[in-house]
Amino acid sequence: MSQELIDAITEMREEDVVAITNQLLDEGVAPTDILMACKQAMDVIGKRFEEGDAFIPELILAGEMMTSVTDILKPRMAEESTSDKLGKIVIGTVQGDIHDIAKDIVAFMLDLNGFDVTDLGVDVPPEKFVETVQDTGATIVGLSGFLTLAFDPMKDTVAAFKAAGLDDVKIMIGGGQIDENIRQYTGANAYGRDAMAAVDLAKSWV
Amino acid sequence: MFVRPDNWNEMSPLERRSARLDAWQNAPVQFVNPEAEAAYKVRIERLRKIYDMEPHDRPIADPFMGASEYIVRRKGVQGTDLVYNHEKLREPLLEFHREFQPDVAVGVLPYPGRSWDLLDFKLYLWGGQKLPDNLVIQAVEGEYMMPDEYADFIADPTAFWLKQYLPRAYGALAPLAMLPDFPKISESVDTIDLLLPFGMPPFQEMLHKMMEAGNELMKTLGIVGQTGAMIAAEGFPAMGLNIVKTPFDYLGDTLRGTKGILMDMYRRPNELLAACEAYVPVLIKSIVGSCDRSGAPTAFYVLHKGADAFMSQAQFEKFYWPTWKQVMMALYEEGIISYLFIEGSYNKRLENLAQMPDKSLVCHFDQTDMGPVKEILSDKFIITGNVPASLMSAGTTDEVRAYCDNLVELFEDAPAYILAHGCYFENTTDDKLRAFMDAVKK
Repeated sequence: MSQELIDAITEMREEDVVAITNQLLDEGVAPTDILMACKQAMDVIGKRFEEGDAFIPELILAGEMMTSVTDILKPRMAEESTSDKLGKIVIGTVQGDIHDIAKDIVAFMLDLNGFDVTDLGVDVPPEKFVETVQDTGATIVGLSGFLTLAFDPMKDTVAAFKAAGLDDVKIMIGGGQIDENIRQYTGANAYGRDAMAAVDLAKSWV
Repeated sequence: MFVRPDNWNEMSPLERRSARLDAWQNAPVQFVNPEAEAAYKVRIERLRKIYDMEPHDRPIADPFMGASEYIVRRKGVQGTDLVYNHEKLREPLLEFHREFQPDVAVGVLPYPGRSWDLLDFKLYLWGGQKLPDNLVIQAVEGEYMMPDEYADFIADPTAFWLKQYLPRAYGALAPLAMLPDFPKISESVDTIDLLLPFGMPPFQEMLHKMMEAGNELMKTLGIVGQTGAMIAAEGFPAMGLNIVKTPFDYLGDTLRGTKGILMDMYRRPNELLAACEAYVPVLIKSIVGSCDRSGAPTAFYVLHKGADAFMSQAQFEKFYWPTWKQVMMALYEEGIISYLFIEGSYNKRLENLAQMPDKSLVCHFDQTDMGPVKEILSDKFIITGNVPASLMSAGTTDEVRAYCDNLVELFEDAPAYILAHGCYFENTTDDKLRAFMDAVKK
């Protein structure tokens, strides 16, 4: 039955996912086992994305399906322990840029892959990133920026971490025009082309 | 204004294309002196040969698509000035043309900030409004058409635009929803339906605001138009572009939003396809009309959601390409060149573009691999773009020079190549810009 759920997710059958989840619960399957099936399905989608067989629509729809499943399971589950997480990440779109779609996908994929993600939203000033890292104890920061005007705010944000003495925090950047030139320009530790690259980077840093 | 010759109906698409290009090339210009006139004629003749894909002395460099903001910012112009203070752009633009002698005119898009303020425009934020003064504009993603409104749109796109979209996109235009359904206004008594909104205070207030916003727009266009004429007068021809989108991008960028339309591919694919189809005749009529009015020979597509990362090739060929191709083919028949500003990458879409008739396209690439572009498209179409914004922003002058030299060399034996940037950027240096522009003059 769990395989049916996995198939429904990977085949993007959104309505079936909800029906099968409810059916599994009715049959007494533990919510944690259902979540495990979801995780397996998302691994398949993530791999397809990496290999160029799945694209942004599939990642967004998978996110919608995961939200639907989680909403159904939440009342039946104890509060998730943060101690099981791989690490803490603070993510946001840098100051002056209000784009959120790509950032949301990266945050979702990081969360799904076991990270405790604090999403600061869009148009986030450097000091807000720094304060949040200090408050949460996060060791990784993700800076998103769709527009070329994000280059300087990214640079400023990296500098703000250095100024605050947080040299050990690893910073990744990403966005439509981000490449190695901009990584060097901003002083970030790495850049990623897409959400799976962000997951791989984060995993290599914990 | 383009006036069709008497024998228009007997002309082939390429003959119509030539007629439009002739009109653009021969549009009257009041030159400042004979030297400027001579320089203009050399430049526009070279550009014409590129448009015609005929032999010419050298490629050209077009800084407009990437550097237009930098060109004014380097003289202290702020983002907010591009929205509110268009007169401040004139001297920096003229200075740039005198100093750099570009192959084509560089202008700045006339964002009408005061008109936007008056109409409570919702689709963007801008410098001096909710964004800081150093920024220009940013789109606000949203659903301006709800999922259950596809049927309304498909039945009558123009009515949807007028009565449902505009009241949401512009707060001050909410009373447009009061307009009647025009197809039913036919008999004497229907005059009542037609005029009723115009007699009501909220609608009248809206009309007054629209007139005020229109007056502000005319001031903006007056300043920008005069600046454009001054640039032409000093010897620099404009490329002649009308900004448009594909049916899918009009629906995705403006009506349903990115997330909305990408989910619609799964949740309501038939309605999405029908909406794209419904758009085709409306869009063709609109683009041909604007090219006729402006005299511009090209429709400039800002391309978004068909890029490699946004959808699979199968999704592209099902949802994006067919209706877009219909529009481009209709424009080709009308003699209008489709200029494709391809944001992101189109590595998987080159064979689709290759289906279009020879000379029907200018293909402007951002991050697409240019080797396959050369191989698959360069004998058929005019090729341009690909100098990275990141390189212009953060690279060295030597790196810019080397990148541009490589591109020029790659397309050395192609019929028509224009050196240009892949996308817009705010910051670079004069040296890097000069290295970019000199690469075509070696």
